[in-house]
Amino acid sequence: MSKIDVACIIDDDPIFIFGAKRMMELSNFCKSFMVFKNGQEAINQLKPIMLNGKDIPDIILLDINMPIMDGWEFLDEFIKIEAHKSITIYIVSSSIDPVDLNRAKRYKNISNYIIKPISIETLKGILEEELQE
Amino acid sequence: MVLKFKNYIRVPLLINTPYILSSQVTKATNQNEVNLLDFIQKYASIGTWEFDLELETLDWSSETKKIHEVPIDFTPNVESGISFYKTGYSRDTISTLFTKCISNHEDFDVELQIVTPTNKDKWIRAIGMPIIKNNVCIKVQGLFQDIDKKTKDTKALAYKEQQLRKTFENTLVGMAIVDLNGNWLDVNKSLCKTLGYSKDQLSTMTVKTITHPEDIHIGQKAMIEMMRGQREYYETEKRYISKTGKNIWAQLFTSIIRDDSGEPLHYVAQINDLTKIKETSKKVDQLLATTEDQNKRLLNFAHIVSHNLRSHYGNLDMLLDIVKMDLPETTENEIFPLIGLAVSHLGETVENLNEVAAINIQKDLKTEPLNLLENFNRAHSSIAALIIDSKTTVSINIDPNILVKAVPAYLDSILLNFLTNAIKYKKPNEPANIEINTNIVNDFVVLEIKDHGQGIDLEKYGEKLFGMYKTFHKHDDSRGLGLFITKNQVEAIGGKIEVESKVNEGTTFYIHLKKHE
Repeated sequence: MSKIDVACIIDDDPIFIFGAKRMMELSNFCKSFMVFKNGQEAINQLKPIMLNGKDIPDIILLDINMPIMDGWEFLDEFIKIEAHKSITIYIVSSSIDPVDLNRAKRYKNISNYIIKPISIETLKGILEEELQE
Repeated sequence: MVLKFKNYIRVPLLINTPYILSSQVTKATNQNEVNLLDFIQKYASIGTWEFDLELETLDWSSETKKIHEVPIDFTPNVESGISFYKTGYSRDTISTLFTKCISNHEDFDVELQIVTPTNKDKWIRAIGMPIIKNNVCIKVQGLFQDIDKKTKDTKALAYKEQQLRKTFENTLVGMAIVDLNGNWLDVNKSLCKTLGYSKDQLSTMTVKTITHPEDIHIGQKAMIEMMRGQREYYETEKRYISKTGKNIWAQLFTSIIRDDSGEPLHYVAQINDLTKIKETSKKVDQLLATTEDQNKRLLNFAHIVSHNLRSHYGNLDMLLDIVKMDLPETTENEIFPLIGLAVSHLGETVENLNEVAAINIQKDLKTEPLNLLENFNRAHSSIAALIIDSKTTVSINIDPNILVKAVPAYLDSILLNFLTNAIKYKKPNEPANIEINTNIVNDFVVLEIKDHGQGIDLEKYGEKLFGMYKTFHKHDDSRGLGLFITKNQVEAIGGKIEVESKVNEGTTFYIHLKKHE
């Protein structure tokens, strides 16, 4: 029933990853996951996937504050890759700094800014938006 | 200001007037000689006199009478002549000299004061010489000169000179006379003290030798302009090097002195030591920079702390949600709900911290004119349920025309906070009774919120009232950040809060908000 096949989580916090995965499972959010611990790892892995056109994620939940390559740097790299499929990107961060919120608005690829913690309700909301498209 | 000093002005101490002193003077027979004599007497203000010892007569020429300010037909004698002299030094001196002239055949030439019939002191010069015949003095002849104006001018000048000299020497401002080549001609004590050199040492130096090498160019253009007559003075700041090698910051004020034909003579410089002021202002600047830096770091710190705390809180909250869904059986105990409560309090605290940090970070807050009554009513109706439940009475007396300058979100939060506080801290056994009034004080609207509640012991808690996490009442819901945030918000929009309170009688808050004109 889910329209989302692959959900991608880019976050350095193992607790968040655990929680998010569990909630996705419980809410029947998607069929499979892809998890990266920082922007660099995500770019390195996503690039060949994007070019192959196989198992491209439908949705990315992207954290901002991460080591090595943060969320913004990831976005700047990611939008350079030619995509064969529309990917919905959500920023999921604990930051409530207006600077971050405003910065997110400048990227047209970003669908929404979700302030942590996420809940089942949040995930259901995302799912509904996806199904409407 | 033009200053003139002793060394550079010749003060005429001796009056170089040609005197004609001859025993023939009064006996001149030649008409031309008489005319010349009258001419000289008139224009040189010099009269003649003659005392005949045998006849005991004293003759005064018309000029002498004029100097004495007596009529032309006045007939003097020795007593009346001497009585013109001012009592004391002048009269004693002339008596002695006159006697000595007759008895010892001594000439005299003296400057003394007479008193005119109109009771005016007048400086005169009296010259006398004996005429000797057979070794006996038979006549005394002499000259009488009006030197009043010159003497008074000289004395006035000397007085002024002394005044200026003392000012120059003793003023706290460093002062110097500098010639056109930059040599120190004269310096005062203060300047010597500032620079650490003695007067003699400086006199062998030029201005250039003690100027900081980087500042030598300063004022050169102005100096040239002053020499050319295009400028009278100039003012600047520059550094000198003291004898001990210390940098001396100085404010320099230089003016040029010219002679009668306008030719430049020398410079007069005033040098104010600014070193201490400069050092102090440097310290102040450094302190300011340090404070600003610390402030920035503090805000940054608050930011990081609140951010990091937020993410941990977020995780805890999320994990609790998962436990509820995944392991519902483990939540059915006393402890789990308490964990939930603790986590939710943590979340609120973090939220509050963030808010405080946000208020302090905001710089250009956009205030707008807001109707106070409308906003108050909105806050009032948003807690309508609480008001009804607690049987609170609120009497609102706000002029519907009052507009305040505020940030909408802040004003909402301020009003809501004071209103809920007033209800929260009611007397335990009776419903809250709140009175709202407004006053206009200068540019401010003073919103008065009187709660008739428990009151606060201001002597004990006054200083902590608006502090972070201070509570004074044993109340389930008092977490104490409300007033702190509210105060920050009021101050951020240019207002202030005053409080009056008495235990068991209630508290009145006066919230000063900027009035919109």
